[in-house]
Amino acid sequence: MENLVQIALQNVNMAAILPSLVLTCFGMGLLLINVFLPRGTTRHAVWISVIGLVVTGFFVYTGWGNPQYGFNDAVANDNYTAFFSVIFLFAAGLTILMSDDYLTREGYPVSEYYPLILFATAGAMWMASGTDMLTIFLGLEVMSIALYVLAGFFRGQLRSNEAGLKYFLLGAFSTGFLLYGIALIYGVTGSTKLTEIGIYLNAHGSLLENPMTLAGLVLLSTGFLFKIAAAPFHMWTPDVYEGAPTPVTAFMSAGPKAAAFAAFLRIMEYCFFSLKPEWTAMLWVIAVLTMVIGNVIAIQQTNLKRMLAYSSIAHAGYALVGLVAANEIGYSGILFYMLAYTFMNIGAFAVLVLAGKKGEDNLTLEGFSGFGLKRPFLGVAMTVFLFSLMGLPPTAGFAGKFYIFAGAVKAGYIWLAVIGVLNSAVSLYYYLRIMVYMYFRDAEEDYAWVSLPAAAVISIVIALIGVFYLGIIPGDVMEMAKMAIF
Amino acid sequence: MYDKLWLIPFFPLLGAIINGLLGKRFIKNEKVIGAIGTGMLFLSFLVSCKYFIQLLGDSVKSHQNVIASWMSVGKLQVDWGFLLDPLSALMIMVVTGVGTLIHLYSIGYMHGEEGFYRYFSYLNLFVFSMLMLVLGNNALVMFVGWEGVGLCSYLLIGYYFEKKSAGDAAKKAFVMNRVGDFGFLLGLFTLFWALGSHGVWTINFVEITENAHLLSGDMILGASVTTVATLCFFLGATGKSAQLPLFTWLPDAMEGPTPVSALIHAATMVTAGVYMIGRMNILFAMSPTTMFVVALVGALTAIFAATIGFAQNDIKRVLAYSTVSQLGFMFVAMGVGAFTAGIFHLMTHAFFKACLFLGSGSVIHAMHHALHHAHLDDDAQDMRNMGGLRKKMPITWATFGISCLAISGLPFFSGFFSKDEILWWAFASTRGNKVIWVIVVVAAFMTAFYMFRCLYMTFYGEQKTNPKAKDHVHESPWVITLPLVVLAGLATVGGLIGIPHAIDIAHVGNKLNAFLAPVFHHSQELYKIEAHGSASTEIILMVFSVAIALAGIGFATVMYMKDPSLPGKFTAKFPTLHRVVFNKWYVDEIYDTLFVNSTKKLGIFCWKGFDVKVVDGIVNGIAKLVGALSSVLRYTQSGLFTNYALTMVLGTVVMLAIFILN
Amino acid sequence: MELIFFYLIAIVAVASGFLVIRCQSPVNSALGLVNTFFCLAIFYVMLHAPFMAAIQIMVYAGAIMVLIIFVIMLLNLGTEARKRYTTGVVWSAIASLLVLFNVMYFIKRGRVTGAEGDITSYTVESVGHVELIGKALFTEYLLPFEIASILLLVAIVGAVVLAKKEV
Repeated sequence: MENLVQIALQNVNMAAILPSLVLTCFGMGLLLINVFLPRGTTRHAVWISVIGLVVTGFFVYTGWGNPQYGFNDAVANDNYTAFFSVIFLFAAGLTILMSDDYLTREGYPVSEYYPLILFATAGAMWMASGTDMLTIFLGLEVMSIALYVLAGFFRGQLRSNEAGLKYFLLGAFSTGFLLYGIALIYGVTGSTKLTEIGIYLNAHGSLLENPMTLAGLVLLSTGFLFKIAAAPFHMWTPDVYEGAPTPVTAFMSAGPKAAAFAAFLRIMEYCFFSLKPEWTAMLWVIAVLTMVIGNVIAIQQTNLKRMLAYSSIAHAGYALVGLVAANEIGYSGILFYMLAYTFMNIGAFAVLVLAGKKGEDNLTLEGFSGFGLKRPFLGVAMTVFLFSLMGLPPTAGFAGKFYIFAGAVKAGYIWLAVIGVLNSAVSLYYYLRIMVYMYFRDAEEDYAWVSLPAAAVISIVIALIGVFYLGIIPGDVMEMAKMAIF
Repeated sequence: MYDKLWLIPFFPLLGAIINGLLGKRFIKNEKVIGAIGTGMLFLSFLVSCKYFIQLLGDSVKSHQNVIASWMSVGKLQVDWGFLLDPLSALMIMVVTGVGTLIHLYSIGYMHGEEGFYRYFSYLNLFVFSMLMLVLGNNALVMFVGWEGVGLCSYLLIGYYFEKKSAGDAAKKAFVMNRVGDFGFLLGLFTLFWALGSHGVWTINFVEITENAHLLSGDMILGASVTTVATLCFFLGATGKSAQLPLFTWLPDAMEGPTPVSALIHAATMVTAGVYMIGRMNILFAMSPTTMFVVALVGALTAIFAATIGFAQNDIKRVLAYSTVSQLGFMFVAMGVGAFTAGIFHLMTHAFFKACLFLGSGSVIHAMHHALHHAHLDDDAQDMRNMGGLRKKMPITWATFGISCLAISGLPFFSGFFSKDEILWWAFASTRGNKVIWVIVVVAAFMTAFYMFRCLYMTFYGEQKTNPKAKDHVHESPWVITLPLVVLAGLATVGGLIGIPHAIDIAHVGNKLNAFLAPVFHHSQELYKIEAHGSASTEIILMVFSVAIALAGIGFATVMYMKDPSLPGKFTAKFPTLHRVVFNKWYVDEIYDTLFVNSTKKLGIFCWKGFDVKVVDGIVNGIAKLVGALSSVLRYTQSGLFTNYALTMVLGTVVMLAIFILN
Repeated sequence: MELIFFYLIAIVAVASGFLVIRCQSPVNSALGLVNTFFCLAIFYVMLHAPFMAAIQIMVYAGAIMVLIIFVIMLLNLGTEARKRYTTGVVWSAIASLLVLFNVMYFIKRGRVTGAEGDITSYTVESVGHVELIGKALFTEYLLPFEIASILLLVAIVGAVVLAKKEV
């Protein structure tokens, strides 16, 4: 028995999981504190969780440039983890700040909302830091289950119920694929450690012909592509995004997507580097399909949440281009793009939150008529976010797209870059339409617009700063992204 | 020495920010807002003057000023940097100089409009973007400006957003510009990649010029790399500079306020395409194919737009088509290798066309007030409501007339020198072509004709304004007439800096040619682009072109002064021709039919009972095509969980099958 | 002998799986599922994994199925809920054919090999299954094991949030 303790403790290295550990503690602590907090408002929970995120951010910061490994190679707290952790923390923070007023307004001031977001963030961090298939898988499950609940959080609303249930069923289905893939890869290589899998696959060249490896690779990819919302595994996105509470949608579109990219990228690079020609060919097709389907269907949407859902599919496609490029610029481009996307997309959703009223009636294009003139601050903010989503300079979206397409060009995928640029030209159409409604149409009736709560404004301002900072001087962050990749 | 270059774009930006943020709530006063907007630009003009003079006296003709690093991609380093060389120095002078005058003019013209602060904020922002475009030392900064001017143009065209037509025109302009931008980006990627394959990762203009020779002999898609890249860039230029086939947005853009048309859609933004070709002249020089395409498109646009100008009755539309046509002249110049002449014409055109637009604005302003005073709904822009305004508005008449003489190319007016040099190069250049020369000459004849038609219909003959409003037409205030006088003066003497060698009796020399030589000479020498011919030939051609212009003017005089019934008879004799020209050759309709019809076919093919109404809201034809595809794809989104799961399974299985089959 | 036994159980497993999706009554479907779980448990035993077999029966066939049947009984589904979805039959057929094609290919290639891990049937028999799993959980997979506890916590919180009567 003593022997066992020694074996276990040998590999324990708390520094390797410090940020996620802190975040989880805050989550659990908040669950307990919630009992004593006054009902009917969630303000206290908001600030406690924000403090939690900031403290976690501090530990992420101290971990930069000081890679820590532990738990028998199950987890690595390296620069890569740190970079993605920052993305998750921003996603969670912005979401939490915009949620407070919204939950009260919609009649669900339930404080358990915040621990769930914190747990989802912790799950995302395990996905990014995992160097063992099982860590990644369990991280994914923690994140997903929290999200299933959050998507169905408004129990009284049918759409929210539907979103939660659909996401749960399809998510469970995709998890099946993922787990099957892991099992097959384990069957081939006899290990769940990413590095060991990579070494084994590289050493046994003949195994590449092994159908089991290929099947494992494909099933694994299916699992992650589902979370990324790449076509043809994207079908859940519009329904779930539309039905879920708006801040949750904002979070889902940024954090978990980045987490899935983090894990996917690490697995592809650690395990399957010897199979690069095969999987880049596969992802080429997926990336093109994703960009085209996302952008083309978005044109038809009149509900803004649905439109942004398709747009998020399209953006997943752009990011996949970086994965196809599979070089330094492409990979660091993904990291950069995910950060940029977090700011611009969550920012856009934050505006949607403040544009709505009870029952979320005001999410249609028509409802946005004259919005820009009635609410100047929100109008300008929305314009900036839309420009960034379009990829116009000098916003973050432009710099991100530039890096990713430059990576593709450098890797010789000229056509992929061309398709990408063409697609972003198409995307202009539907983003621009929102602006046309905002500025060139008269408001049909005067809504009792929601007043601007301070927390939500802070969240929008942070997003604005992020969009401009990354757009005007992206150099620094890009350098960090380069240091973060392997 | 050149480290304060950033001040030039900075002042307009500051003005835009001050007016944009504080204008509505805090400043409110129109005079203060106007003074801030104009003053900021004037400061920028002063700085430009300082650097211009400094550059004149400097022996080194190319200076870069890097403010900050923007991004680095691999070995590619992109900076926020500016480049001052003779080309950009000339451009900033034109942009800030003409811009200041137009700002001043706007104070009078926009007086009392709602959103006065918004207007000046946008206008400043536009000038800022335009200065970024011309000063940028690399293609990405240029692209920032390129996008920025497009955005401001969009905002300013849609300034009267209550009018549906204004909103539609704005959208049309934006979408067409985006088609062009796509070309620009594509060209940039091709160039970036092609230079990169030689180990030179750069998009800095100076470095591109230095390393362009590496690209000779490179092939892509069965054509030389330079041809592909420059054709892509040229597509960008056609969008921004309103050339065939992307020109239809410019006439619609006249929905914006008139000073905007003068600044953006005549003097500066639309010339961005010409400037861009000038900036990358070495790449264009390397590809004779592209040069020929540029010249041909330019020539065809010149004549095509000129014919439409014949039959328009809206004074601003005449000027709009005239602008398209004159831009065609500039592209001809670029296409035949007369880079200096192209930039020269760009400059003179900025003077006289700005003057013409502002003059028309002055007329419209007066008409509008008169009609408003008499409570009439007549169209203030329709020339058939005008006539005989010469006595009522003498300054406007004089300046407008001078500009008409200049654009027609009468000797010793600015337009004469620049247009003549283009014609000479088209005739005699090694890249020239006699057919193009003929087309351009015919276009020049037409220009003289329709400009004088416009002049006569507006200022001469009997006043056809409704009698109630007739006597309320007055000359405009000084803020409006002062810019007119200055611009008319420039339109008169502006050409003297580029006197052609053949008639240079006083031996002052072609100042402009010498000034711009550091930018263009290198490529002209390297790729043997020159105009050769005897001085006598040049003089004969010159006389010929003057004769052509006089013929055009004479023709107009006969038809609209001597015998005003002639146009009616003419129309009656060739009704079809008139109808076709009047309807702008049905280009808009053709575009609509072309794209709408193919959409319908696709719809019926893909989805029986495809509802056309689904795509009703979509204005643009190309978007309609995509829209049709979109609505078909939308049916895959059934909302049924089982279908989604099934798609996932199918996707996975197909992926696996593809792997296996490989 | 073992082979015949395997095929026998396999046929039962597939047949009961088929029953799950084809039965008209939800209760019958649930019983079909129980049957499938039992068959899987038997497979585990045949693979020398007795602990897994026990867990399979206790957790899935026992606890989870009891819950499912409880829910079915409580909801007392009407006839309309029993209607089976028939959409996408054609596509399912195509998918099935493709799966068949893939599997056929795998079988034809017949080179499904892999590395041999540390733990074989032999070690399972000599050391004991429970010990091996316990050791793996507390040493090699310590972190995933701990994360699993957070996973359960999240699930519980979620269930409470979604099921609570008043806000």
